[in-house]
Amino acid sequence: MPRQTYKPIDPQITALVEEHGSSSEAVLEVLTDLQELRGQLTPSAIADVARLLHIPAEKAYGIASFYSMLQIAGQEVGKQRLVRLCDGPVCWLCQGASTRQAVESALAGQQDWKIERTSCLGLCDRAPAALVDEIQVGPLHPEDALKLASGFAGQAVDYSRLRPGELRVMLAQAGQIDPDSIVSALTHGAYQALGSALARPAESVLREVEESGLTGRGGAGFPVGRKWRFVAQAQRAPKYIICNADESEPLIFKDRVLIDTNPHQLLEGMAIAGYATGAHEGFIYIRGEYASQAKRLELAIAQAEEAGWLGDNLQGTSFSFHIHVHRGAGAYICGEETALIESLEGKRGEPRNRPPYPPTAGYRGLPTLVNNVESFNAVPAILLNGAAWYRSLSSYPTPGTKIYMLLGHVNKPGLFEAPFGLTLRQVIEQFGEGMLPGSEFNLALTGGAAGTIVSSASLDIPIDYASASNGISLGAGAFFVCDQRVSPVALLRELLHFFTVESCGKCTPCRVGTQRSLEILDQLVARQGKPEDIKELQTLADVMQSASFCGLGQSVAVPIKSALSNFKPDFETAFSSIELDRKKR
Amino acid sequence: MTIRLTINSKEIITEEGQTVLEAARQNGITIPTLCYHKDLSPVGSCRLCLVEVEKWRGLTAACTLAASDGMVVHTESPTIFEARKTVLDLLLLNYSDAGYGEFDGHDTEFKHWVKAYGASLPAGYKPQPKYPVDSDPNPFVWVDLNKCILCTRCVRACAEIQGRFVWGVGYRGHEAKIIAGEDTTMLEARCESCGACAAYCPTGALDHKLSVGAGTADRLVTTTCTYCGVGCQFDLNVKDDRVIRVTSNPDAPVNGMHLCVKGRYGFDFIHHPDRLLAPKVRRYLLEGGAKPPGDQRSPSSSRPIPWDWVEVSWETALDIAAQKLTRTRQTHGSDSIGVLTSAKCLNEENYLMNKFARQVVGTNNIDHCARL
Repeated sequence: MPRQTYKPIDPQITALVEEHGSSSEAVLEVLTDLQELRGQLTPSAIADVARLLHIPAEKAYGIASFYSMLQIAGQEVGKQRLVRLCDGPVCWLCQGASTRQAVESALAGQQDWKIERTSCLGLCDRAPAALVDEIQVGPLHPEDALKLASGFAGQAVDYSRLRPGELRVMLAQAGQIDPDSIVSALTHGAYQALGSALARPAESVLREVEESGLTGRGGAGFPVGRKWRFVAQAQRAPKYIICNADESEPLIFKDRVLIDTNPHQLLEGMAIAGYATGAHEGFIYIRGEYASQAKRLELAIAQAEEAGWLGDNLQGTSFSFHIHVHRGAGAYICGEETALIESLEGKRGEPRNRPPYPPTAGYRGLPTLVNNVESFNAVPAILLNGAAWYRSLSSYPTPGTKIYMLLGHVNKPGLFEAPFGLTLRQVIEQFGEGMLPGSEFNLALTGGAAGTIVSSASLDIPIDYASASNGISLGAGAFFVCDQRVSPVALLRELLHFFTVESCGKCTPCRVGTQRSLEILDQLVARQGKPEDIKELQTLADVMQSASFCGLGQSVAVPIKSALSNFKPDFETAFSSIELDRKKR
Repeated sequence: MTIRLTINSKEIITEEGQTVLEAARQNGITIPTLCYHKDLSPVGSCRLCLVEVEKWRGLTAACTLAASDGMVVHTESPTIFEARKTVLDLLLLNYSDAGYGEFDGHDTEFKHWVKAYGASLPAGYKPQPKYPVDSDPNPFVWVDLNKCILCTRCVRACAEIQGRFVWGVGYRGHEAKIIAGEDTTMLEARCESCGACAAYCPTGALDHKLSVGAGTADRLVTTTCTYCGVGCQFDLNVKDDRVIRVTSNPDAPVNGMHLCVKGRYGFDFIHHPDRLLAPKVRRYLLEGGAKPPGDQRSPSSSRPIPWDWVEVSWETALDIAAQKLTRTRQTHGSDSIGVLTSAKCLNEENYLMNKFARQVVGTNNIDHCARL
């Protein structure tokens, strides 16, 4: 029997743990930093971290093996440059496979480089995209693969110009301010809303947000004011404000653009939320792949503290508010608010049972407000201009504006801001300037990866949070428009690949249901399907929707069900030739 | 606070803090479960205990659903049946049984529910084993993760019952698996081999290594452990008058499902050829001679030697012991004698030994193995 022999703890790990305050909540950060130093995490290093943080080794290993950005290796092979190639649906459509081949051959035989696949990087407007160490790269066309080693990063998209029909509130300062300079932000009105809020009673700020009718922009559309009210009414303290910047759903990249254009608008929104609800500490949980946005936020926080808009006694008032940036490490599931809280507490990002909901018992079991980046970004303008003004922006029942992401075979893809109630036809014709030459509309995936796959029959339905009942969902606001070359079966297969890789594995319907759906879709894409496959997919979608543990697992059913109901013939032509013959007879 | 809810049209009165599952069970309503166990904190992950709550969207897991006043719950409907069956169908997709435990007795909880709901695999689908069968060198706990359904009862039993934190969940999604420590062996992960994980496992992925393939018991004998004074109870599984396995008896008043490595796995002494069934004394004591020199212990000679053990009656053995003790006390005094008692004795027997040491022998030199 091999016996464990005593091994002193690695002094470098001891130093690292002390740097993070020896708190078990810091385990993810310690592991991330350790990997940064060493290149890989070995089981023995993970066990050392566990001993120093006084957590069981299985817990630390469970965390290290959960997050996709952490690499476990039997032995350290030293630091390598890491290229993470996005295999999200937009990069798939934009010939990501050719880029992958080109990068693989460009880096072939180079020991100090490593290539990995990764789920959607949130760079859909720069597809095909990659992450080289922490640098966001895109578009990365095959011919650019050889330039990766010399620091090629592609080109970020400029959103400073308005499209016809756009109405900008959250994006009003895009291109006008230097996002890394608070001086620039202040000259364009940053923190004026916070200043005016601090001069009012908290209750009046809360009522303004309630009356504005602002709804949560993460996808569910829950009234923001009502959520704030729950937290404000909670008796226990301290309370926490969390910004969900874990934007990991394929097609969605609005939070990245919002942070890159005006990080102070987010900080201001969070501070107002803190004032209205009685919280004094906030966290921005940002996905690990957004390293440059995390750095931008850290800089903005430091500048805002310097200027007295964050920190202790804001502008000489009795209100204090601190914001910390917490980086994730690669997990779509952490966009689910309770999984995010688990992750923030230094655990595997698995969702919690609800109720209790976070406003009652969230971070550290205390009252917690979790809102999306876009929701916080909408707040300052509401405070400055009033709820009535916000409601007047939209002639549709849902007040205010929304950031939309438009991708695929249109002339002008990208991101824009407009009120609710747009139709898909408007989005394509007016904002996207029509389909590409030679392209005919075939289908669109709306909302996000967990959205609806719709046909031309849905082109004229006004879209908002309620339109899902009419078969077209708004979700987080993405439209992925595909022409006649894209098969709904193949697109659905790409989505299920994502959900299978990103399922946390906690509950049976999502863990096995996604895996089984992918197996079936692989067969259908290869034209090896069977008639009973359609029924099985339907059953799988039913059980995922009705019985999955969390909202993300439940939403996997949405693209499956919509694709099956809108594109049944496409699934039927994906049967194997034997089955097709049998069907004809 | 008392609350009233309706389950399957029956009004049920329960206490606040109870789950719907607990309230249903107290009233004789069966809801199938796998990840739930009454001794462990509920996690609601297997999704077998799905029920419908009126005015709620979708289905809800009963094991994590707090019963509340006025709630109207249905535990049986075609939708619920179909969803539970699909959950079991899904679990079967990754359940690969090599068949070695087929004759080891009653169905596991998992097999029971699979049969009850008629769950099945898609036509032509054969689950592939992903892990070696018997993958851990632990001498007592059998590990076959091909049968694991990730209910995490082992993880919770290890953490909440035994407090060892050996088992955890590693990796993610369909690659998630149960791991010991930093994905090492159980003993490396500081396992005490108490077997709680195997006792709580509903599928046989974790089992008792000494008993895998030992067959079905003819009868169960509930008895008290002989190893120490705690008084744990368990069921001896007896086949052809031989003990083939020890299983926890959930109704055991002292220990419930919990046992230690000795109680659960240390049963080989029962039928061991070396086990003493009658007293034995050295031959030279019977022959009345003095203690012979040590070199005569050598077994090289074929004739009987004075150091041999000879089986005798209790009277003879006790007489010899009494004579030797009396002589020692006369020659060397009371405190030249010490008494060490055993945890295998009853409290009453230990009490008598105390009286024997202090009042009969006249010494305070008495101790007990459980104190060492």
